[in-house]
Amino acid sequence: MGDALLCVRGLKVGFPTVDGVVKASNAVDLTIQAGETLALLGETGSGKTVLGMAILRLLQPNTRIEGEILYRGRDLLSLPQEEMQKIRGREIAVVLQNSGTSLNPVLRVGDQIAEAITLHRGLKGAEAEAAAVELLERVRIADPARMAREYPHRFSGGMRERALIALALACSPSFLIADEPTRGLDAVTKHEILALFSEINRGRSVLFITHDIEAAATLATRVAVMYAGEIVEIGPVDAVLSSPAHPYTRGLLESLPARGMRPIPGSAPSLIAPPSGCRFFPRCPCSVGRCETEHPGLVPVGPGHCARCMLYD
Amino acid sequence: MAFGISVTIMFVILHLMPGDYITLYLEGIYVIAPPEVVLAYNQAYGLDRPLIDQYFSYFLGVLQGDWGYSLSYSRPVLDVISEKLVWTLVILLPATILSIIAGIAIGAYSGWRRGSKADVTLLNGMIFLRAIPSYWLALMILLVFAFYLDLFPLGGYVSLSALDTGIDLLDVMNHAALPIFTLFFFSVTGTYYLMRNSMLMTAGEDYIVTARAKGLDDMTILRQHALKNAMLPMVTRVALQCAGMLTGSIFVETIFSWPGIGMLTFEALQVRDLPLLQGILLMDTLIVIVANIGADMIYPFVDPRVEVGSDARA
Repeated sequence: MGDALLCVRGLKVGFPTVDGVVKASNAVDLTIQAGETLALLGETGSGKTVLGMAILRLLQPNTRIEGEILYRGRDLLSLPQEEMQKIRGREIAVVLQNSGTSLNPVLRVGDQIAEAITLHRGLKGAEAEAAAVELLERVRIADPARMAREYPHRFSGGMRERALIALALACSPSFLIADEPTRGLDAVTKHEILALFSEINRGRSVLFITHDIEAAATLATRVAVMYAGEIVEIGPVDAVLSSPAHPYTRGLLESLPARGMRPIPGSAPSLIAPPSGCRFFPRCPCSVGRCETEHPGLVPVGPGHCARCMLYD
Repeated sequence: MAFGISVTIMFVILHLMPGDYITLYLEGIYVIAPPEVVLAYNQAYGLDRPLIDQYFSYFLGVLQGDWGYSLSYSRPVLDVISEKLVWTLVILLPATILSIIAGIAIGAYSGWRRGSKADVTLLNGMIFLRAIPSYWLALMILLVFAFYLDLFPLGGYVSLSALDTGIDLLDVMNHAALPIFTLFFFSVTGTYYLMRNSMLMTAGEDYIVTARAKGLDDMTILRQHALKNAMLPMVTRVALQCAGMLTGSIFVETIFSWPGIGMLTFEALQVRDLPLLQGILLMDTLIVIVANIGADMIYPFVDPRVEVGSDARA
């Protein structure tokens, strides 16, 4: 493991709504080392995407953000807009979720990739186009020269995902955020995309956001599990998936078809007024008295492995 | 098809109108028109024939390019209309083009900067402008700019000097300025609303986030990614607006005494010149239909997802 490339400290994200502030991220601490792939696991609404978007400052302007996001020692949250634009796409790139709607429908796919190349690498016209075709070839799109001139509606779901990956790789970013890149894909395409990721992840730090435990197990070196805007467990992929410490992680694994398909009772809490104390206690099978009132911190349970649970306090 | 139905509906509605040209015309000559004179006039214009006969001969005539004979102008309807249409276009084209450009530009900016001071100011201003009755605004513009400030002529399309020197472009534009200005204000609000709305939808799209994630700056995203998408719904709107403004020009032309289709409509209505009125409405219909076909033909060029005539490969 090398040095910390990205370091998130005490990140709080709130969305003001008419019903109150939705606390989508509550004091998240996260470190990503150079060259490692960290999988961010959690169910829908747990705050995974918000964390990814907050790093690139792509959340809506009225969002309340507190804390620090240090990238190579610089706090991204306090950078001026122009500096941030130089980091987006060049240093940190993102593969957005919803590949179906993330490409501009009225621009040719090749042009959309070439745009980023022109912006950050200074290549113009035919050179940028050739680079775009190269990228499409690298993500294994058949007949890349022809497809570069096509519009997104001519692309299948898997091809759009590949095109978005090509776009993210356009300027060889040192850090890649992939937001549920396997969502909505059939099993074969999903495995192809995962294989592609295991290839492009080499020598690059990746935050792989997913709710697919299998995908996380294939790609990640470390796993962080999010629940209701908090990281509840983090550690090496083998340790977390083979001996999960937090009751929520255990529940998540037991809900897999291969492990009995037992769902976690109850549903995810409101993020406007989250439960006091431990956020998981209303659904937790092992809750003790003080879970209701005391908020647990992340405590070490093994080498590099922490869990946010009273059981280990 | 649509054209044929319009011809029929127009014929029926116009013949339901009380009063007729001959009666009104003869009232100006006689105190009580002698019945034989009325009969002679009606025979001369074929108005004594059963309505159903009149309908079929009119319908066939329209299809053959014979739109009838204006009672008040004593000339073929098509001649009168095409002569006046030119003058309407003199004020309509600049007003339409200006309002579309301005509406799209400020609507796009307003929607892109949603909630900003500029957006709120523009939006409230447009709502205010929209709420002013059009004829009142036209009268006020006339009163202030032509009467009090004396910047522009009160009405007409050329000065009296045109009798000696002939029609001069600058003189015409001087007369056209106020009608153009008024028409511009009538239509710019609608374009603005639609463009702002369309931009609001576009600004929330995922591909805009993609563009931001690339590292593009705000204005580049607006120009390269948002504008073209937000303008797609505007194509239909613009086409309909071109046609709709023809009707809107009735007020303006009447108030500014501009000798175009709008004023012609007003005159024809006053004297119950049915053939002329039918011809004008038919021309309106024709323009709406042509504008719609035009919009449909433009779509494949602006939206790659619309492909005409090609087999669906996607």
